[in-house]
Amino acid sequence: MASSDKTTNTDIPKKDVFALHFLQSLSNLKAQNPLDSPDKANVCVKKIKLAAYVSMARSAGGTSRLWSRALLRRAAKGNNKIPRRKKKVTWHRKRRSNRRAPVVEEAAERLRNLVPGGGAMETSKLMEETAHYIKCLSMQVKVMQCIVNGLSTK
Amino acid sequence: MSGRRSRSRQSSGTSRISEDQINDLIIKLQQLLPELRDSRRSDKVSAARVLQETCNYIRNLHREVDDLSERLSELLANTDTAQAALIRSLLTQ
Repeated sequence: MASSDKTTNTDIPKKDVFALHFLQSLSNLKAQNPLDSPDKANVCVKKIKLAAYVSMARSAGGTSRLWSRALLRRAAKGNNKIPRRKKKVTWHRKRRSNRRAPVVEEAAERLRNLVPGGGAMETSKLMEETAHYIKCLSMQVKVMQCIVNGLSTK
Repeated sequence: MSGRRSRSRQSSGTSRISEDQINDLIIKLQQLLPELRDSRRSDKVSAARVLQETCNYIRNLHREVDDLSERLSELLANTDTAQAALIRSLLTQ
């Protein structure tokens, strides 16, 4: 638990970990209900997308990161939308924003809306979590590309 | 739990982050962005620009996940489990 406290370590697991988690999620999906009914194509895409994000968060170490914790919590609630930030946090941020260049805070604000759980993060924490999130996200994209390529050139 | 702990510490003001630490983090982020990764050390990219590009990059990645989910959905609908299992064994090697 103390591991994520002080460090600015943004190392992520290897690709295999992401691939394994994602494929597990996918096969669970398939076991739960078949993905081949054509009228439910939209639902299916949504489920795969959710599986992608959830398995990514699990690969990244489950709840050991702020972003992965927020993502998993959001997924558990069955709510795909980014939750609204709490008012308390807004106040906290406004107070801080005086100290940093407004352009930077403005950009950080946009970043908060993109990184899961970003709304509750202090700017430096936000940047650290963002770095980790980006690494995981691009790894997840690579894994998905691999699977898509593998399936389409059989 | 650790999140709560760190939050209370932040509000107490004892852990004010120095500008140096912020700059380090900005550089760390910059190295992750395809757009800015290759820029020379001499021409310094502003923090705002790095954050802006970070947003763009994340949006692109989200879009890619969307597209790939769509393609996967199509592919899995037309692929039997045997093939999926084959892929699985290939990927986990």
